[in-house]
Amino acid sequence: MKSAGGLEWLRMIENWLLAVLVLILVALSGAQIVLRIFFETGLSWADPFSRGLVLWTGMLGALAAVRDDKHIALDVLQRFLSPPAQRIARVVTLGFAALLCAAMAWYSLGLVGIDYAEGLQTSGGRFTAALRACFAESILPVGFALMALRFALRMFAPPAHAPMLLHHSETVSE
Amino acid sequence: MIVALVILLLLLAALGAPLFALIAAIALIGFTAGGQSGTAVAIEFYRLADMPALIAIPLFTLAGYLLAESEAPRRLVRLTNALFGWLPGGLAIVSVCACTLFTAFTGATGVTLVALGAVLYPALRQAQYPERFSLGLLTASGSLGLLLVPSMPLILYGVVAQQFHTTPPVAIDALFKAGLLPCLLMIVVLSIYSAWIARSLPRPARSSGREVWAAVKDAAWELPLPFVILAGIYSGRLAASEAAAATALYVLIVTVLIRREIKLPELPRVIREAMLLVGAILIVLGFSLALTNWLIDGDVPERLFGIMKAGIDSKIGFLLLLNAFLLVFGMLLEGFPAIIILVPLVLPVALHYGVDPIHLGIIFLANLQIGIFLPPVGMNIFIASARFGRPATSIIRASLPFYAILLMCVLIITYWPQLSLVFVR
Repeated sequence: MKSAGGLEWLRMIENWLLAVLVLILVALSGAQIVLRIFFETGLSWADPFSRGLVLWTGMLGALAAVRDDKHIALDVLQRFLSPPAQRIARVVTLGFAALLCAAMAWYSLGLVGIDYAEGLQTSGGRFTAALRACFAESILPVGFALMALRFALRMFAPPAHAPMLLHHSETVSE
Repeated sequence: MIVALVILLLLLAALGAPLFALIAAIALIGFTAGGQSGTAVAIEFYRLADMPALIAIPLFTLAGYLLAESEAPRRLVRLTNALFGWLPGGLAIVSVCACTLFTAFTGATGVTLVALGAVLYPALRQAQYPERFSLGLLTASGSLGLLLVPSMPLILYGVVAQQFHTTPPVAIDALFKAGLLPCLLMIVVLSIYSAWIARSLPRPARSSGREVWAAVKDAAWELPLPFVILAGIYSGRLAASEAAAATALYVLIVTVLIRREIKLPELPRVIREAMLLVGAILIVLGFSLALTNWLIDGDVPERLFGIMKAGIDSKIGFLLLLNAFLLVFGMLLEGFPAIIILVPLVLPVALHYGVDPIHLGIIFLANLQIGIFLPPVGMNIFIASARFGRPATSIIRASLPFYAILLMCVLIITYWPQLSLVFVR
């Protein structure tokens, strides 16, 4: 899997963060069941926290999907294009996606700003409370900005794969 | 202006632009035209963090991918073969059952074709099943199981449908209960057809009690899974998201710590593969939440119903149209995006025609299941073509009897609501 060399460290952080967050999600959800069934109790912060984790893992997964060209798309027409036309189609469509992600990064930054200001206000100016109010959604501007960047980089890179297969794709012989 | 935009977006879609970007563009344009800022789209998108049922999706997907990467598929085939292999058409029935269970867990039909096709195709050919039958059977079986617990598309339908606060509500576990008999119907009909095809083939001897026992012992760690999930959900002790958590935790411990078929250093890669699929779906879902709101604000479903009422006045007529519509869109869009995009439009209309929202979910999935391998552009045709090294046209020709069989099942499922609703209502 080739990637822009300078961004290799970013890729590592992304993969490990994704794995750690998912494992936390699994462990926490499991613990909640045990607590509920055997002790008839539960952690009050766990449910909103898990929902936030779903958003975080979803955004990181979407970011990873850009690198592998695995975002859901209609690829009906592409099959009929000549290779040079396919390259142009790739530049146009991924450029379009990069623009949209950049716009969404900007707008979700606005959302974070609103909630941060509101958290500051309701807590009487406490920084930590304000940060908590907008922490879960902070993945949106970060995630969309990184996706915009990666879409822009991948516009000119060759496509990563044939669609939607796991990694073993050798043909079966009889 | 509007026409130019529509043409531009259609062109981008046809060229292969990511679906989420297209939906985001429509939502942004719609909200801005309605006088709201783009931040409103971000707020709608953020509702993803406010849907408790959604947790089931990453958890079940992770469990499915871990199982797919382990030796579980091989053990599954061995066990079903020991149990059913001696029946007429036994190996074909084994294939159908194994594919169904596997797709139910991974939620990704292409993955089933790739992972199980490698084991089952050579086995079928070796047992002298005709080539054409074997190809068609596996291509068709790949998408079987979308109706069975804990299929991810079924959860997705529930999550999307819950936005509409229908009475009766669309609970995920109700969908799981509803899918059971329709899925069984397809398995049984395919098995009967297989037995008929295989009537003149030499039948393997019945497995010895020792082999059955060995196969059971071999699969001892995986065996409790379906029962725990089924019992947990059907008894009402576990919510769908809890069943997902229990499954993910159990599978993680078994595959990584006990069986060690997935080495610890490989774990991040498998997690990444699974979350890649989840991310690709959630991002489409997030933007479609915004789009749905915009459509409802604009009374689009009501207007759609108004237009349709003029031409179609019966429930039967509506369902017939729905079947045709879903087959085409299932072919174009695969399962997941078709659900996310179409449910908000179709569900309100279907309610007007008196269709039960749970039954509608089963109709949706049953149709999409065929759409996924429907010619000319159903995804699984191309996956099967790559997997088995045959041209797409051979795959289509081989699948012809299976279209007919499954289409018949879909019609039964559509026009016999009780089949889906007997355990629910």
